[in-house]
Order: sequence, then C-alpha cells, then structure tokens
Amino acid sequence: MRIVLLSSIVPFINGGARFIVEWLEEKLVEAGHQVERFYLPFTDDPNEILHQIAAWRLIDLTQWCDRVICFRPPAYVVDHPNKVLWFIHHIRTFYDLWDTPYRGMPDDAHHRAIRDNLRALDTRAIAESRAVFTNSQVVADRLKTFNGLDATPLYPPVYQPERFIHTGYGDEIVAISRLEPHKRQALMIEAMQYVKTGVKLRLAGTASSPDYGRQLLKMVDDLGLRDRVILEDRWISEDEKAHMLKEALAVAYLPKDEDSYGYPSLEGAHARKAIVTTTDSGGVLELVEHGRNGLISEPDPRALAEQFDRLHADKRGVAEMGTASLNRLAEMKIDWSTVVDRLTA
Amino acid sequence: MKVLVVNNAAPFQRGGAEELADHLVRRLNATPGVQSELVRVPFTWEPAERLIEEMLISKGMRLYNVDRVIGLKFPAYLIPHHEKVLWLLHQFRQAYDLSEAGQSHLDFDETGRTVKAAIKAADNDCFAQCRKIWCNSPVTQSRLMKFNGVASEVLYPPLNDGELFTGGEYGDYVFAGGRVAAGKRQHLLIEALALLPGSLRLVIAGPPENQVYADRLTRLVEDLDLKDRVDLRFGFHPREDIARWANGALVCAYLPFDEDSVGYVTMEAFAAGKAVLTVTDSGGLLEIVSADTGAVAEPTPQALAQALERLTSDKARAISLGAAARDLWRDKNVTWEATVRRLLD
Repeated sequence: MRIVLLSSIVPFINGGARFIVEWLEEKLVEAGHQVERFYLPFTDDPNEILHQIAAWRLIDLTQWCDRVICFRPPAYVVDHPNKVLWFIHHIRTFYDLWDTPYRGMPDDAHHRAIRDNLRALDTRAIAESRAVFTNSQVVADRLKTFNGLDATPLYPPVYQPERFIHTGYGDEIVAISRLEPHKRQALMIEAMQYVKTGVKLRLAGTASSPDYGRQLLKMVDDLGLRDRVILEDRWISEDEKAHMLKEALAVAYLPKDEDSYGYPSLEGAHARKAIVTTTDSGGVLELVEHGRNGLISEPDPRALAEQFDRLHADKRGVAEMGTASLNRLAEMKIDWSTVVDRLTA
Repeated sequence: MKVLVVNNAAPFQRGGAEELADHLVRRLNATPGVQSELVRVPFTWEPAERLIEEMLISKGMRLYNVDRVIGLKFPAYLIPHHEKVLWLLHQFRQAYDLSEAGQSHLDFDETGRTVKAAIKAADNDCFAQCRKIWCNSPVTQSRLMKFNGVASEVLYPPLNDGELFTGGEYGDYVFAGGRVAAGKRQHLLIEALALLPGSLRLVIAGPPENQVYADRLTRLVEDLDLKDRVDLRFGFHPREDIARWANGALVCAYLPFDEDSVGYVTMEAFAAGKAVLTVTDSGGLLEIVSADTGAVAEPTPQALAQALERLTSDKARAISLGAAARDLWRDKNVTWEATVRRLLD
C-alpha cells in the first residue's frame, strides 16, 4: 500500500521524534509498502500555533495515498479517510504541563482561550482517525483524561535490537542516556556512597550542558567514589553501547516521571539485563515488574543502594531477572513486526 | 548558517527538481559553516480552487531556528521568512505562460480566473519580500519580468555529476539522451536519419514517458528499416552509462519543445565537448546552442537531416564545434561552488 508518514519538526533539531518515523519507514519498506515521509515545520509559540494548525488542516492527502500515519502534533489534523495515529505526545504545555511550572506562559484569558481551542480541535481531529496508538500507557491515559478518547499503546521497539547481546554478568550497573537532571544520574551517584558490596556504576552519555557534566564528575570526586563510579560524558556510539551492556550486571534507568519506558530500558532488556528503576519513573513502570525483570526502588539514595547491593549479591537472581527481562519484550509485543502489522491493519 | 531549502512535492513522484533539491542540500552541507535541510510541502493542484488552500498552507507555516530560506517552487516558496532567496525553477505555469498559450486548467471558468489572479497576487507579494531572486534560465527570468514585472538574475543549475562528463573519442553515432517522450521528439531524429544515406548511427537512451510513444519509435525504426543504425535503449540507465554514451558520441541531439531551461542533456553534451543539434522552437537551449556550438534546425525531418549531414560529415568540424561548446559552458562557470556562494550571498 502507498503510505505517507507525516510529522512535524523544528528544522535542524534531530532526536527521538524523528528516529521513530525513520525506523518505521525502513520497516514498512521492508514489508513491501511504498512509503513517502513528510516533515513539516511547526513552532509551539502559543500565539502562532492555531493559525499554523489551520494551515496543516488544509493539507489533503486523499488522492495521493492509501493511508497516512501521523506522529507529532499537529500532523493528525490532515485530511485523509484512512489516517492512523502513532501519538507520541500532546503539545504538553497546554495539557498535563498547564498546571505546573513548565507551562511557560501566563494563565490568563488569552492563553486559556488558545488552550481550550487547541484541546477542542485536537479532540475532533484525533477522533477522525481510523485508529489511535500511543507510545505508552501514560500517553493513552492522557488522551482519555484530556480528550476523552480511547487509544491503544503500541510500544516503540529499538532499532536493530539484534545488536544487543549478552555474554555474562559482571559488577557494573550500566546507565546509558543523556546526562541531565531529570534522568537522575546524581541520585545514582549518591546511592553509591551507601553500597556494601563490590557493585560498580557506569554512567555514559552526553551531558545536557558541559557544566552539568563537570558537576556530576565533581560529585563523584567529592564523595570519594572514583573507584566505584565510572562517568563518561561523551557521545556513545551504538557499537560501544552494545559493548558496555553485554557484560553488565544490570541496567538502571530512573528518569523522573517520563512518558515512555525509554530506549535505555529496552536496550538493557535485549541484552538480557535486569532493569533498575524508581517508583516515580512513569512509563518505565509499564515494563518493569519488581523482582521479576528488575527492581523498583524508592527514589532515595539509601533505598537505591540496597537494590544495587541486592543485585550484586545474587548473581543467580540477576540471571533469572535478565532472562525475564528479555521475555517481557515478547510478552508486551515490543517488536517491529507487531508495529508494522498494527499500523497497516 | 542554517539554510532551509523548501520545495513542493507530489507524493511518490520524483523528477529533475527533486534531484536538484537533494543535491543542493548536499552541497550546502558540504560548505563550511553551513547546515542545510530540505522541507518538501505536499502539493495538490486540482481542482483549481484547491490552489487557494495550497497557498494558505505554505503561507501559514512558521519557521523557527532557520537563518536563510532558499525557495524553489510554488507554492512552497510562499513560506514566510525574513531572509528568503528564491531559485525559481519555474512559476506555477498554468497561471502564466501556459494560460497565455491556452493550455491552462485555470481558464475554463470564473473560478479558475479568480484563482489565477490570487496566485499572481500571492506571488507578487512574496517576490517583493525576497532578499534576492534567481532563475534557473533566461526563459524563467523573462517570464518573471513579463508576467510579474520582477527583475531577477540567471543562475543555471550545475550538473550534479559533472565529473562524469569528461569527453572522449568522437565515435560514429549521435547520442540523444533524456526522457523519451513525444514532447522531446525523438521520432524526428529517426525520420531524419532515414533521409541520410551512409553509416551514421543514432543512440536513443532514456526512460519512456509512456509505452505508446516507445512502441511508436520501435515501429518507426522497423518501418524505415533502420534496425542496424538506431539503437533504442529504453529505461532508467545508470549515470555512468549515460556519461559513456555522451563521452563517446560524435555529436549529441536534443529536440524538446519550448524547454524552460538549457536542459541537463544539453549541459552534459557541452561538458563532454560535443556539438549539439537542436530545433528552432526548443526554448531555453537556444541560449547556448547555435551554429557556433552545434546546429539549430527547423523541427522537420528534412531540415534535421541536412543539419545532421553538415554536423557529422566533417569530423574535424564536429570536434571543433564540440570544443567551442565546452569552452562556452566552462566560461559560464556553472559550478556548485559558485552557485552555493551566490545563494548564500
């Protein structure tokens, strides 16, 4: 079938929101479909969003393809009798972030009017879809709460999962992701003060700012943890990632209240590792079950240290949880053929 | 500098303009200090009133994180930006020269005429706000002056793979590359060849626009008993093969009707040092093809046969005209380095 993939972008900003579209494109082509991808610019300046969405609303792809798969807002407002959504997030400042310090605009009549219009038009346009999938249960719940719409989680797989292999269980708990406050590498470093076993921690990824990278390094030094914590503030290639994971004891991914389970968790699972996370990590909790394929800790250094120790002290348990971690992916049907089947059904 | 190239796109269709846009982005990205990305806006031009919406789509887009826009085609170039240059490949011809020639779907009724006026108004508004307007050919340039009263400069699109067209031996055949189509009049070349005794051969190579015309050429060759002298190579050929045919030809021939620009086929022949045979109504080619660099004949078999005879009977003359063609093209300095420099000026 002829499929158009449509998403919005900020020019020259790359990231996960583009990867998911491009990985899917590759898989759809492999499955024998004709695919054309369109990225159109969109800015979320409150005073510019409604007329931009009006412009997107005028796009009519009916004559060009059999199906449109829509990603970032406001792609789903386009006209097509067979549009399917893989909904990643709302324009969150007008939704779940409205009543938080992250709103970024005044809570006044003008902005509330924009918010209410946006919510109404989102509800209407999303309801036109043939099917609505989200990247997580958290986002599906949000669609229910704010738009009264039902949606099904369709978990995004990692790209080429076969790259991640398992060769054994060493001493390192590995956490590979951007180094930034809400990913809470600091909490993990603090926890390492309290461990009693020979467990080690490897933190790797690019810092959100050079300053923050230095701050974390200093923390490791100040707490005298240089023999137990390895911190690498740099871009980690996909090959290196696989290499770091294959001998890991477990992986840790404990972002503060994230929507989705996160690629670091999935990568760990593909390498047969238990996943350590925290009770307030959001989407990660859809993947991890305490004691089965990982451990869920309170977001507190001492509590986390206990879980780290527990893993190091019980290599057999680690192996069992690692295997369960891989099996959990099959159970949740986190794989590309499921994604392709559902989006083209 | 972040440079966004904007072009329109008919989904699932690719042609010269798409190749040019991709290549422009590659060349921009290869320029120190420049980052470039292409935005393709899906474009639907029928029915006529649809065009109003298409203009509103592009005018309603907002760009953030972009320092320079290079607009190529209507209506994508209507995207507002304070640092916009146009490299016009052509305007929406149905509103301009095709309308004047009675070949536009915008002249059937009042709606069409209103749409035509709206296109002109939007164009004029956009042109007035551009930092600079370049056209891909003198034809585009003079139309822009004639219909919109807007001055521009010519910036020929360089060959994307000019290094392949090195020239070579002067063989015993005429090479006619490019799309095989009634509008490109390959049949006239075959009919002309039939009027010439001798052993001169003709190689026609390119993708047929439709099977009807391809069949017509095949039959013509059989009926005129030219199977030994005419080599019909229908299909998309690797660029290396096209270059090999051009590099080994005695002369090249290209007979389009009223082409907007010089045409890639002509540029390739000139780069390879081959004289070019064309016709008096070929449009943009006449900018560079003349008795000094080839031959310009009336579009009849008899006139073309005479011109071919004169071009090919004296090999030394063919070689010297070819050398003149190469020099003329070289002097125009149509290179990607110069093109990128001007577009970023």
